[in-house]
Amino acid sequence: MATVVRLPELGESVVEGTVSRWLVKEGDRVERDQPLVEVTTDKVDAEIPAPVAGVVEALLAAEGEVVAVGAPLARIADGAQAGTGAAAPARPATAPTPPTAASPSPQAAAPAARSEEAPRATPVARRVASQAQVDLAQVEPTGAGGKVTKRDVEAHVRGAREVAPPAAARPAVVAPSEPDRRPAYLQYALQEGDRVIPMTPLRRLVAEHMVVSKRVSPHVGTVAEIDMIGVVRVRDAHKRAFEEANGFGLSFLPFIVHATVRALREFPRLNASVLEDAIVEKRDIHVGIAVETEKGLVVPVVRHADRLSLAGLAQAVEDLAVRARSKKLSPDELKGGTFTVSNPGRYGNLYGFAIINQPQVGILRMGELVKRPVVRSVGGEDAIVIRPIMHLALSYDHRAVDGAPANGFLHRVRELLEEAEFDL
Amino acid sequence: MGAGTEVLELGRVAYGDAMARQLELLEARRRGEGADVLLLLEHPAVVTLGRGAHEENLRVPRDLLRAQGVELFEVARGGDVTWHGPGQLVGYPILDLAARGAPDLHAYLRSLEALLCEALDTLGVPACTRPGMTGVFAAGHPEGRPRKLASIGVGVRGWVTWHGFALNVDCDLTGFECIVPCGLTGVEMTSVARELGASAPADLGRRARDAVRSAFLRNFP
Repeated sequence: MATVVRLPELGESVVEGTVSRWLVKEGDRVERDQPLVEVTTDKVDAEIPAPVAGVVEALLAAEGEVVAVGAPLARIADGAQAGTGAAAPARPATAPTPPTAASPSPQAAAPAARSEEAPRATPVARRVASQAQVDLAQVEPTGAGGKVTKRDVEAHVRGAREVAPPAAARPAVVAPSEPDRRPAYLQYALQEGDRVIPMTPLRRLVAEHMVVSKRVSPHVGTVAEIDMIGVVRVRDAHKRAFEEANGFGLSFLPFIVHATVRALREFPRLNASVLEDAIVEKRDIHVGIAVETEKGLVVPVVRHADRLSLAGLAQAVEDLAVRARSKKLSPDELKGGTFTVSNPGRYGNLYGFAIINQPQVGILRMGELVKRPVVRSVGGEDAIVIRPIMHLALSYDHRAVDGAPANGFLHRVRELLEEAEFDL
Repeated sequence: MGAGTEVLELGRVAYGDAMARQLELLEARRRGEGADVLLLLEHPAVVTLGRGAHEENLRVPRDLLRAQGVELFEVARGGDVTWHGPGQLVGYPILDLAARGAPDLHAYLRSLEALLCEALDTLGVPACTRPGMTGVFAAGHPEGRPRKLASIGVGVRGWVTWHGFALNVDCDLTGFECIVPCGLTGVEMTSVARELGASAPADLGRRARDAVRSAFLRNFP
């Protein structure tokens, strides 16, 4: 026999409540009157107790979900197997456990799996889940055949962030704030005069991403010195006409992106992602452009960047940068990049190695453009001439990319820029 | 029932200790033991996050709070983030609402508001409530920013209540600066002492406890 626990009447004007926290998991033994779940309405947090003793068979509402009075919250299997020993521990060894125990995730506080079988998931979803340290069994599948998709994992991660911050941030009901348990070398005691800047949600997201990227992906760097004389000449020739036609100046960034996407076509290994046990080379080329805004770093994406002319790229890049700074980008415009170009601007210094924007395998960072003396052959003789030089630094993921294709790719970018066959 | 509500004045109690005491009384009450109880006390500086808490309403990093000796608790009460500290009168009613024949959570919130308004009236501070913003506010300035005198955040297990209300008597209001109280950005925190200004009596703390005790017993005899 199973008993369905429903949201009880909580008062005349209470028509619904928000599930704020589950206090039990599926498979848990509960005693009669043991609190099962907390439901919030206005400024009240109501703990709903178990009406019977038994084993929690299913949780029927997720944390954060708004449920109507009378709606089902959980199903408890009672009857014979449920309660012989009155003082049975909360989780006796004999309690039924799922046949395939999914490996417990760090966020074990989340509601338990809805399915008892090993979760079915797409390879991409598996990879995203493993990177985000999400237990697939915890994710609500919406894909064909009940498969967990990448989008499901992302939704789960977003939901987990909104509804139940990581376990460390949510100590048990009665526990005071956790003492700082990080190793001593990570701790810092605040000093007088220190300025403390709380992390914004964006900052925290960026920080997490950087750590994850460095952890999962062995970064290797390689640098090319580009003679930009050809590009500078093309730009100078079209600068005025371009600005008059478009209302904004022509920068060097579209030239770099243009050369990059052409080289990516020849070196598909740089336009790739690493799956669990495979590498996927992508047909489409969508280039993320790292933009520094007032609120922090964002990376809007130029879709099908290889289909755009130089002018088209310039317009797309300008449009994204303007809207990024005025916070008018849609979330879709920040997704789906397959390679990233980072332009630190006028103060980019000689060169630097950027962190790869996961799940991509490469990022190209522009250095400053400076006139330098270089050796060129003039009339068959070596001569020192003055040229505008830019360094381009490629960080690549050595899981997927070896030195040969990485260096080959960067060398090809250099050739394309030095050949400077751009049509505006 | 029948024994009538007991009021226990505990003085200054650490947040964790008060929580343990409440849980003890709550469980006893659920077993049908003892009477309904009102705990009146104050806490050393502490920040608590209710179940509706949004992390961004904590304006100061946890590390900084810790460095300043302000404890942080996440608790099973409704509402967002709040601050408690010396000079604030905290009331934790442990009431069996079902036994009182009034199992209605919103009605309970309204009763707490009403009794706090009564107590404030006794103290000479006109107070009011605002629809949609559970809590008690200083009356008389309808056009300005709402000025909040008391916060409410309640937990209920079975039908027995815990957590409760916090009335700013003469606390240091800068304590609230590290949070967005209750997640209400447009609200200013005020206290009985500040509303009374120069006319505040020397024994305001004592008077406030008496006023709240009497108002509580009238509403929950």
